[in-house]
Amino acid sequence: MKITKLIASAFAVSAVMLASAFMHTAKAADEIVVGFIGSFASDTGKSTLRGAEIAIEELNAKGGVLGGKKIKLVTADTREDVTEGIKAYEYLAETAKADFIISGSIDDVSLGWLPRMVEYKIPTLDTWTSYIGIIDKVVKEYDKYKMYFMNVASDEALATLYIDFGKDVLSKQMGWKSVVILQEDTAFGGAINGLVKDVLAPEAGIEVLDTIVYDVNTVDFAPIFSKAESLKPDFIYTISSVKGQVVASQYVKLQVPLAMTGVNVGTMGHEYWDDTGGAGGGVSSLSPLPSVGFALDDTSKAFVETYKAKYGSSRPVFPHFNGFNAYHGLKQAMAAAEKAGGFKPLDAWVKAMENEDVIIKKDGKMWLRYGFWKPGEIEPRTKREYTHNIKFDITPPFDDGAPSMVVIQWYEDGSSAVVYPPKYATGKFTVPSWVKK
Amino acid sequence: MWSDPNMRKYMIGWALFGVALLLLPQFATTGTLRIFIFANFIAIFAMSWDILSGRTGYISFGHPFLIGIAAYTSAMLTYHLETPLYLSIPLGIIATMVGGTLFFLPALRIRGTYFALVTLAFMELMYQLTQVLRPDITGGTRGLSGLPTLLTGALPNYYLSSAVMFVIAICLWLLVRSRLGTALSAISMDEDAVKSSGLDTTKLKLFAFMVSAFVAGVGGTLYVHYLGSIAPRAIFDINFLFTILIAALLGGASTIIGPIMGAFFLTFLLEYLRPIIPGTERYFIYGSIALIVYVLEPKGLHHIIQRIYGALTKRSEA
Repeated sequence: MKITKLIASAFAVSAVMLASAFMHTAKAADEIVVGFIGSFASDTGKSTLRGAEIAIEELNAKGGVLGGKKIKLVTADTREDVTEGIKAYEYLAETAKADFIISGSIDDVSLGWLPRMVEYKIPTLDTWTSYIGIIDKVVKEYDKYKMYFMNVASDEALATLYIDFGKDVLSKQMGWKSVVILQEDTAFGGAINGLVKDVLAPEAGIEVLDTIVYDVNTVDFAPIFSKAESLKPDFIYTISSVKGQVVASQYVKLQVPLAMTGVNVGTMGHEYWDDTGGAGGGVSSLSPLPSVGFALDDTSKAFVETYKAKYGSSRPVFPHFNGFNAYHGLKQAMAAAEKAGGFKPLDAWVKAMENEDVIIKKDGKMWLRYGFWKPGEIEPRTKREYTHNIKFDITPPFDDGAPSMVVIQWYEDGSSAVVYPPKYATGKFTVPSWVKK
Repeated sequence: MWSDPNMRKYMIGWALFGVALLLLPQFATTGTLRIFIFANFIAIFAMSWDILSGRTGYISFGHPFLIGIAAYTSAMLTYHLETPLYLSIPLGIIATMVGGTLFFLPALRIRGTYFALVTLAFMELMYQLTQVLRPDITGGTRGLSGLPTLLTGALPNYYLSSAVMFVIAICLWLLVRSRLGTALSAISMDEDAVKSSGLDTTKLKLFAFMVSAFVAGVGGTLYVHYLGSIAPRAIFDINFLFTILIAALLGGASTIIGPIMGAFFLTFLLEYLRPIIPGTERYFIYGSIALIVYVLEPKGLHHIIQRIYGALTKRSEA
């Protein structure tokens, strides 16, 4: 009887919950709703969220936007799950009635909610995914996807500049002629491997001796490094998007007598050193910017100071690149709304956003640029369109935008630096002390 | 059948449920309708699982495998070949029934934990295959986005998913109340006894499997053309599998109506918690509530409703 009562009570509570779900979430007429979609549990997701929070606080402190309307942030967690991402977008669109959505989603999650964005026609800015396939959709079907903007350089642009690093540093400076690739068993790993084998290596004159594919859950890399060593390459190229700290820390602990570079997402955050227990020195990786070891301009420094004061020791203690993107991107979206008279009509806002262009200088030189490629605009080096992707520059001396990527290196004392391209370098590319030069 | 007063009561119940589904958009917001759409799909998948596993006792951990074959077949056909939906959807369903039979049926020769583990392996196999085997066709890890949708907007999709869910529910409910349904239930109790009574259990299991695969195929194809995108992590995923299983078990396995209750309860609980606890913590609350309900009443929500209904009618009679 007791149990029946308890269960009946639970049902009554559920009924009340269900009933309240039917109620409209009222949106005040004097507010603009910004929706955040991304993972609350990841450093990258949090970076976007916090960048947006700081931008909103600053805008609200100045009296709001669009004639004094306050900005309200509504958040929806995706857990980096594709279906949750779709539900989250629906929630932001239909229940929260978001005027603008800022995303810290990974590739497949963004691709998941993309059809919902097209359906709801809500201006959306992605700050984390760099998948060129999404930009290609904007290029090919502009009318359908025109509300989408991505203010991180697409992976193709990242790769193009990275090939220069292979030629200039790995081949010319270091004189390396052979490599063994350690590739995680994911589509990301396969795609980057294809790029290294088919483009980077031939262009840089580097021979790929072998590719060792490993499972992302591998915990013991000793046999893998032994196999790589036995092939006697000049260096190891690692490709890791998942648990990159494991492969890096074992490389250091085992004192593998070969230099190791590549694409390791684990190295891109300031927590990398602690995550590896201090065993992460010597490893280098491609990174979007502003990266670890990046020389900050005054605007970015001010943002970082505000960030540190607000979030203290809560992880991530330093914003990832997408935190900067969210901060600037959200302000640009609001500025575009001011110019267009709001987020509707959509075409007016899209045109205004396309014209948003923030150039941040350092020592009088163009350092960072938050602008967008316009429809029909051709990037001269790749001779292709990148409509609504951040306005990057992949040709030195990078006078028309920031480079699409930098190469970062962690040193054995726990410090980090940008080592390529030279204009942005804060340190030198080097091999670890235990590796014979 | 209609002269049975119990049956009449049930039919009135179904009719009321149908009317409620029909009238609901008059009272609900579009945001709420979106939640109902997801609940409808989870209900379809849970019923599909229930007709095989709930009835025969062969616990399948590979149901996303069946759903995924249909969803991926239709998705790839429409994305790459621009096949119209009226062709790609039936082809997806057929692919699930054929593909599922090739893989699952041999597994039906083994029982208990082994069957569950083999089916789980199928799901994992499919997860890997979609990523590495011709990623140019499957879309690899990132999947395919921008697939054609059957309908646009919350209201049309609500009516479509509700109608499909309702029709499937009625058909399966009638099936489980037939002699065939009784024979399937008997397999879960004592398969050898069923065999020795002269019934061909292989044929019975095959029948249950084909029905289950058909429903999974219908749900899978409609689901993917509702979402407009597909990715391996969205389908061949342990969380997706658990959502289906928990909906069926929490609602009341082997009852058909139970999985619907479970799907609605879980989907609404999770979505209701979103504005209150936006972070991952809501999954802890969600899991705890599901666990408490299940521990208090292992037969599921269906049984709880029956008990409450019984208590109320007794009181009114007294």
